[in-house]
Amino acid sequence: MNCHAAQANLSPYLYGELDFASEENIEEHLTGCAFCQRALESEKAWHTALNGERRDVPLDLLARCRQDLRSTLASEVKPAMSAWWKRWLDGIDFSSRRWSWQIAMASFLLFVGFTAARLVDRNGWPGGLDRGGLVTMGVLNPTARIRDIQPYDGGNVRITVEQVRQGEVTGSAADENVRRLLLAATRESADPGIRVYSVEMLNSQGGDDVRDALLNSVLHDPNAAVRLKAIEGLQRFAADSNSRSALRYVLEHDDNPGVRSQAIEILAPRGGGLALTPELAGTLEDVIRSAGSDDYVRTRCLQVLREINAPVDVY
Amino acid sequence: MLVDTRAEVIGNLAVQGTTERSTEVDLIRAAQRGDSQAFEQLVRSYDHNVLRMAFNLLHSEEDARDVYQEAFLRVYRNLPKFRFDCAFSTWLYRIVANLCLDQIRKRKVRKEEAVAVQTASGEVDRLQFVAEQRADVDPQRQFMSAEVNSRIRKILDQLTPRERVVFEMRHFQGMRLRSIGAALGVTEEAAKNCLFRATQKMRAALGDFV
Repeated sequence: MNCHAAQANLSPYLYGELDFASEENIEEHLTGCAFCQRALESEKAWHTALNGERRDVPLDLLARCRQDLRSTLASEVKPAMSAWWKRWLDGIDFSSRRWSWQIAMASFLLFVGFTAARLVDRNGWPGGLDRGGLVTMGVLNPTARIRDIQPYDGGNVRITVEQVRQGEVTGSAADENVRRLLLAATRESADPGIRVYSVEMLNSQGGDDVRDALLNSVLHDPNAAVRLKAIEGLQRFAADSNSRSALRYVLEHDDNPGVRSQAIEILAPRGGGLALTPELAGTLEDVIRSAGSDDYVRTRCLQVLREINAPVDVY
Repeated sequence: MLVDTRAEVIGNLAVQGTTERSTEVDLIRAAQRGDSQAFEQLVRSYDHNVLRMAFNLLHSEEDARDVYQEAFLRVYRNLPKFRFDCAFSTWLYRIVANLCLDQIRKRKVRKEEAVAVQTASGEVDRLQFVAEQRADVDPQRQFMSAEVNSRIRKILDQLTPRERVVFEMRHFQGMRLRSIGAALGVTEEAAKNCLFRATQKMRAALGDFV
């Protein structure tokens, strides 16, 4: 695969729409091509930017729509399913000359079906295809995706099928299953929107696992909106030493000014009794001196140091 | 450890997923017999996504509301004729996509859209809906964010109605190309080509900017 082909397929690759072979090819190419790796990063960046543009529906609009629909349906005549023979007769246009053809065709199909059923082996389809087994396994499900085909045991074939099954779990964030999925989603979902929602739902929960998930998001999530949301949650763990270390790291190193600003608000809440630790003073000092900091962050750090009457040599 | 527990939970869900598919079939059959509660449950399984799709494509609460109303009315009226030849969701999205396409073409949205959006409480600047914005604390960030979002809006508006619908369904609704093709009455390949054109345009406009 050359660079042109690889870059043409970057979006389908990110959407998971490539077949197994194409996916392998593009990954192999990406491993050895720094140029295409940069293109992939750029592709991911605009995908993420688009998700930021996304607006959700105002909840009152959804409520109004449901109410409107309910009112309209109340005035509609209920569509009940008519008897099968009536629907069948409705389908035949007796006024047309073709009706006799339709009956003839239906009779013919009935005959073909009957004959075929008699020819088929009673134990299954000819060739031993265990139809029932496949259906039970869900392999014939149209959402199944064939990942590999290998010859197997003299003339047979082994097909590896990937299946996507959707399920739904409902319950409060305190529910064990819901909580586990939310924790997993903060780390593993490719969709930043889902990660934001997961973090938001976990923000009301306590526990070390939640704190660790929030810390992980704050320190490692590539999306600033997720990091911001996770910092909000860390407010509840502001006294915890790990959380404070993470927030100090964010204050110094996060490339997003909004995230850095939020970190200051938690480390040094306005009007809150702040205990200036040497580490925090050092961090604030470093931020003030850093060329990478924007004016707001620098000013806010100065303000914090002034509020607590830090010695002049600190800043 | 987390992966293991997730696999365990998802393993349990696999059985539940099969049950839920059959639950949807049961709901459809009940609604076909005139059970209004079953129909309402069916609507609630999809209506948030349907409204979100219409709202984001049409940028108007009123138009999104019309699409919602019309789509579910059509479903209600035609449900007795639904024969499970395709997934219910495919059928529903086919109706929604066609209604949205009609609206976009009719109104020539590209020319009409402005920065403001019509809401029940009057005109509202669309930028206020943009996520990740902390205008109060960082004007520079607000400026950059507004620039990016303005460019995104512009390029979305430049897509053809069909490209826009395909892009919406794939990128925001997370639908597979096969389902999109089925919903729009085109092949998976045609949907893929349409998505390809849309992403090429997005990349050209945003690739160096973000």
